[in-house]
Amino acid sequence: MGKLWLICIASISILLPFLCNAFSPETPTDRRVLVLLDDFAIMSSHSLYFNALKSRGFDLEFKLADDPKIALQRYGQYLYDALILFCPSVERFGGSIDVAAIVNFVDSGHDLIVAADVNASDLIREVGTECGVDFDEDPSAMVIDHIGYAVSGTEGDHTLIASDDFIKSDVILGGKKIEAPILFRGIGHAVSPANSLVLKVLSASPSAYSANPKSKLSTPPPLTGSAISLVSIVQARNNARLLITGSLSMFSNRFFRSGVQKAGSQTKHEKSGNEQFLTEISKWIFHERGHLKAVNVKHHRVGETDEPALYRINDELEYAVEIYEWSGTSWEPYVANDVQLQFYMMSPYVLKTLSSDKKGLYSTSFKVPDVYGVFQFKVEHQKLGYTSLSLSKQIPVRPYRHNEYERFIPAAYPYYGAAFSMMAGFFIFSFAHLYSK
Amino acid sequence: MPTNLNFEMARSLVGFTVLLLFLSICESASFFQPISDSHRSAAVELFSPDHGSFKSLEETYEALRTFDVLGIEKKPDVTATACRLVSETVGSSSSTLKDLFYALKANSIVKCKINDKAYQGIITRLNAAVDGASSLPDFYYSVGGLLLVKGSKGDVHLADADGIFRLVKAFRQSDGRWRFSSNSPESSAFAAGIALETLAGVVSFASPELDQSLISTLNSDISKLFDSIEKYDDGALYFDDKLVDGHDHQGPLATTSSVVRGLTVFAAVTDERLNIPSNKILGLANFFLGIGVPGDAKDLFNQMDSLACLESNRVSIPLILSLPSTVLSVTKEDSLQVNVNTVLGSNAPPLTVKLVGVFTSGSKAASLVESQELVFDDGTGMYNLNNLPKSIDVGSYTFVFEIVLHEPEHEKIYVTGGQKKVPIFASGLIKIENAEIAVLDSDLGSIETQKKLDLAGQNAVSLSANHLQKLRVSFKLTTPHGLAFKPHQALLKLRHESKVEHIFVVGNSGKQFEIVLNFLGLVEKFFYLSGRYDIELAVGDAVMENSLLRAIGHIELDLPEPPEKATRPPPQPVDPYSRYGPKAEITHIFRAPEKRPPKELSLAFLGLTFLPLLGFLIGLLRLGVNLKNFPSNTVPATFATLFHVSIGAVLSLYVLFWLKLDLFQTLKLLGFLGVILVLVGHRVLSHLAATSAKLKSA
Repeated sequence: MGKLWLICIASISILLPFLCNAFSPETPTDRRVLVLLDDFAIMSSHSLYFNALKSRGFDLEFKLADDPKIALQRYGQYLYDALILFCPSVERFGGSIDVAAIVNFVDSGHDLIVAADVNASDLIREVGTECGVDFDEDPSAMVIDHIGYAVSGTEGDHTLIASDDFIKSDVILGGKKIEAPILFRGIGHAVSPANSLVLKVLSASPSAYSANPKSKLSTPPPLTGSAISLVSIVQARNNARLLITGSLSMFSNRFFRSGVQKAGSQTKHEKSGNEQFLTEISKWIFHERGHLKAVNVKHHRVGETDEPALYRINDELEYAVEIYEWSGTSWEPYVANDVQLQFYMMSPYVLKTLSSDKKGLYSTSFKVPDVYGVFQFKVEHQKLGYTSLSLSKQIPVRPYRHNEYERFIPAAYPYYGAAFSMMAGFFIFSFAHLYSK
Repeated sequence: MPTNLNFEMARSLVGFTVLLLFLSICESASFFQPISDSHRSAAVELFSPDHGSFKSLEETYEALRTFDVLGIEKKPDVTATACRLVSETVGSSSSTLKDLFYALKANSIVKCKINDKAYQGIITRLNAAVDGASSLPDFYYSVGGLLLVKGSKGDVHLADADGIFRLVKAFRQSDGRWRFSSNSPESSAFAAGIALETLAGVVSFASPELDQSLISTLNSDISKLFDSIEKYDDGALYFDDKLVDGHDHQGPLATTSSVVRGLTVFAAVTDERLNIPSNKILGLANFFLGIGVPGDAKDLFNQMDSLACLESNRVSIPLILSLPSTVLSVTKEDSLQVNVNTVLGSNAPPLTVKLVGVFTSGSKAASLVESQELVFDDGTGMYNLNNLPKSIDVGSYTFVFEIVLHEPEHEKIYVTGGQKKVPIFASGLIKIENAEIAVLDSDLGSIETQKKLDLAGQNAVSLSANHLQKLRVSFKLTTPHGLAFKPHQALLKLRHESKVEHIFVVGNSGKQFEIVLNFLGLVEKFFYLSGRYDIELAVGDAVMENSLLRAIGHIELDLPEPPEKATRPPPQPVDPYSRYGPKAEITHIFRAPEKRPPKELSLAFLGLTFLPLLGFLIGLLRLGVNLKNFPSNTVPATFATLFHVSIGAVLSLYVLFWLKLDLFQTLKLLGFLGVILVLVGHRVLSHLAATSAKLKSA
């Protein structure tokens, strides 16, 4: 028994560094999440969301945002795989966490969920700015929508918004359509047009604007209409995924359970779409959807099986790659019809859509161009919501060798004939010249 | 270590305050709603047993109690499993005191059948536990257990109640808080609640013979405890422990719940009236109601149990005034409805609800209406004000209500909390008239083109202007009562083809709204972008029922060319859908093969190349070529044959070179053949030369 314990402890201590890394195709499970709160009461008031995460196997660790003992990494190893910031009012993080630490955390491929709220602190705004979104600078501004608000007997100031302007992407929001609008109360943000990594997942309606509901509007609001993003996501170049929203209450049990009726619409939904929306999007954030891996890249001449060291111009070749998508528990075949292969030297010489066998295998065949040089097989697959696949493999292409050209060209037969008739003539002439009398 | 924890706790308290603030923002109206159906559905969801049973007896009791308070029909299987668990615990002598206590508590709700023998065993065990108790929880469980047995069996007595009372009282601290045991230095309000509940049990065992002075000192302790009550901005009161061990810290909800339970149980058993201001009880009720629907089973139990205690306590029963709707339509003539209930939503005693005054939000002006009584409707159980007062136009108001109890003795039993301020939104349809859009000439202000707009319907005006002209949009807003209305959102939006947007606030003077855009001053702001601008008008307010966002049409602007250093328009977001997607396929175009003559032509020319050879042969025959000079002697003849064979070999070598040999093989063989050829050729040629010389000389 004691020995078993020893083995257990030893194996844990060996595995520990690997358990706490960012999402990696090698060890995609075992995810520890640090949740920073303004107050432990959020654990209770937002428990449905946390329970949904726990039931999917995430290990949530709740800490106060200003707890002096919190840290993201120790001895150079990250202690968590993801961070949830449900602390809109925190002015300074405790422990060793600051904005730079969070940015480094994301830069090393970890995921982040940030929920701001009305009167969000400068710190949380700064985190938002680092993620590529700008919250409305007015601290008491809220998103107001006098047309797309949620009908409620007790909420008269139209800051409780029923929004249903989703991004059209099954991989981000799941295959099931979100029927009920999303309840949102909080601040809006704008995504920088120069940043191609940020996507608006939930936008405000064209009639919305961001302003302080209690004071008169004298200058044009900085954010209006569909330019206001309510919920945004970022997929960084290292495949770290981020969610930024200006409402903490949209995660709350109250909003999850509340019914919703959008103003001007007769349909009254029993339950708001918040639970479905936020659960589905958390699956995306935590890489349970849309994370691709490519394995078994193979290429060879038609009719052969071994991979050659180089190709000759005009060879017929076959290329195949297997692509899988992580489903949260296993790698499932990725089915798509727009995976493309490039045969590339400075610019693509051949660009071909790979055909799929629906079981993850993508293949194609083509003829090597009659240009020699060092080429690359490139698969650059970028699709909304999916991690980007970027495979490249270098392969040289050589010209014909001298003895690989055509040997007896019919057009040259007269020349051959002339030479040989000349030689025959010479042979006969040698007799005639020497021995004729 | 403790200082660190205290620090943490203090901060958690600050955080909780922030949360409550946030909750109060959420609620927007700072009044509290009694328990509703959402609590019931949450309770069923939260207390869902795993495989038919709960994790512990404590949780079983909490579930049963919550269902009981909320009036949820107990599922038969829950009752059955609870009973099985209860009888197992009660029957076994190894169960802990805590389990026994919760088993008896659960039993008091589900009423299982427990035989007398088991009861006798429990009584003996509990009495022994009381005697051996040294800490507050021990007393709590054992005395509480005995009390529960007494509740179902009757003939249970507590020996030396007076002594136990004094023993428990020894845990008291001077500030009204209590300690868990004599060893622990820290006192807590949570322990105070437990102690009060325990003492209430002791009192009910020995009510007449107990020293009344003990109870009155306890009364002053309770007053001291209530001095340390904490307060939120919205009037909610709560208890929180700051100085406790980290692992025992219960949080404000559990602490307040414990105090409320202890207080109400104690108030129920003593004859003396506790000296607690009734407003504090109302504040505690507000605290529990302000939490809303908790997401945690334990929190829900604490909330429900405390509210149930407050519902029928002997100190003062809080009455909660609530409004089903605080958004009233002036146009639809909604009636103002007010509910007065106890915390759990049961009916209040006969009373009158008075509307004391109505004030415009944010102004200190006098009340808009006279004080008036609301009419009670028996059917709905609500107090109605059928027509909103005439002086109420659209806008946001604060209504002030007051509850007046009919019977004076109810004043002592119930607490109403005096005047109650409720924010009310009076919404209505706003009349939009005289909507116009016009292009003006700059100098004179004369109208060049003017179009009427119908802001209720669709418009598609098309205008054109240059930078020397102005655009004017104007409309008039009036409330249902014919007064000026100033909406929060009155924005004019111009959107260029390239999606660059410009937003302007439409200003007003009284009812008339007007905005004049002087393009001459705006060219720089418009980035000198000429072309089509779509015009949108948004008018909206929280109390405007017909808020609108209309595309009015478009204006074709002719602006001057940008100067060298003009600012560029900001980049516009790229459509995310178009950014991705497959690219067009590329196929390589191969070099075309060289053009060649047809094979027949080559063969024909091949034939032609043999014609000279043929002509040569015919010519030789015509000349009468013979081989008479061929050496007749054996030796020269052999050399001549060898010479010609060598020539043939060299020619064959050339053929082979063409067919398969490479240059090196060919040269090697040629060198060898060449030597033979030279030697043999020399002999033959010298022989021939000698023969011809002989002939000449002869």
